[in-house]
Amino acid sequence: MAIGLTHYLILAAAMFLVGMVGVATRRNSLIMLMSIEIMLCGVNVVFAAYSRVHGDLSGHVFVLMNFAVAAAEAAIGLAILVEIYRLRRTVNVDELKTLME
Amino acid sequence: METFLFYLFAGLMLGSAVMTISSRSAVSAAVWLIFSFVNAAGVFALLAAPFLAILQILIYAGAIMVLFLFVIMMLQGPVLPAERERRSLWKILLLGAPAAAIAVTLISWLSQSGLTAFAVAAPETAGTAERVAELLLNRYLLAFELISIVLLVAIIGALALGRKEEDLPWQ
Repeated sequence: MAIGLTHYLILAAAMFLVGMVGVATRRNSLIMLMSIEIMLCGVNVVFAAYSRVHGDLSGHVFVLMNFAVAAAEAAIGLAILVEIYRLRRTVNVDELKTLME
Repeated sequence: METFLFYLFAGLMLGSAVMTISSRSAVSAAVWLIFSFVNAAGVFALLAAPFLAILQILIYAGAIMVLFLFVIMMLQGPVLPAERERRSLWKILLLGAPAAAIAVTLISWLSQSGLTAFAVAAPETAGTAERVAELLLNRYLLAFELISIVLLVAIIGALALGRKEEDLPWQ
């Protein structure tokens, strides 16, 4: 069976779900940030696949925007994590519940 | 050949993503994620997007993951105790079962829909750097400028967050 749009969409959905499960189950906030990157990567595959189906390169431009957003998200998220670590000496989200108490 | 390469890249990409979310230490998670992103670049190359494939390696596997590794090495030195995680099985099952259900639904739904064949990508639609740049600097010029402002704000925000309290100008 030739590789078509469906294969790429299934791959992207699987990547997104892996990222989702990672965010939901892991308690180490570094790995939660990595799971968000996995989800963004799945979305990029969808953009590129539809771009090829329509023969229009606009999808590639959107993937570029996604790259920039992912970079900004990683930079800010990691800066916040470093700051939290300085204050609390942990990156485990289970122990960061000051607002809850 | 394309079939073989697709299954190779997709399998390695998904497998190492699963290894990322299931590995104990953050360093090995990051290394698995780099491998996953390199394979994602291969998937982009199969989708006639060579420019995106190169950028995927440069930006994701290069810049972003190096940033992650730096922060992990900084935080996870001798001070950080081994990750204490309550990973009860029922919790993972509780979250994994809906995810698997969604996956099965999507796969069955997608394989019923008729969108299985690509229109053959003519050579002039391959996403080389030249064509993507032409589009980016003409039709999407405003978005291009706005995204650079987003990056600038992110840089300033990260700098402001990373400084010591007494260094901040408003202190």
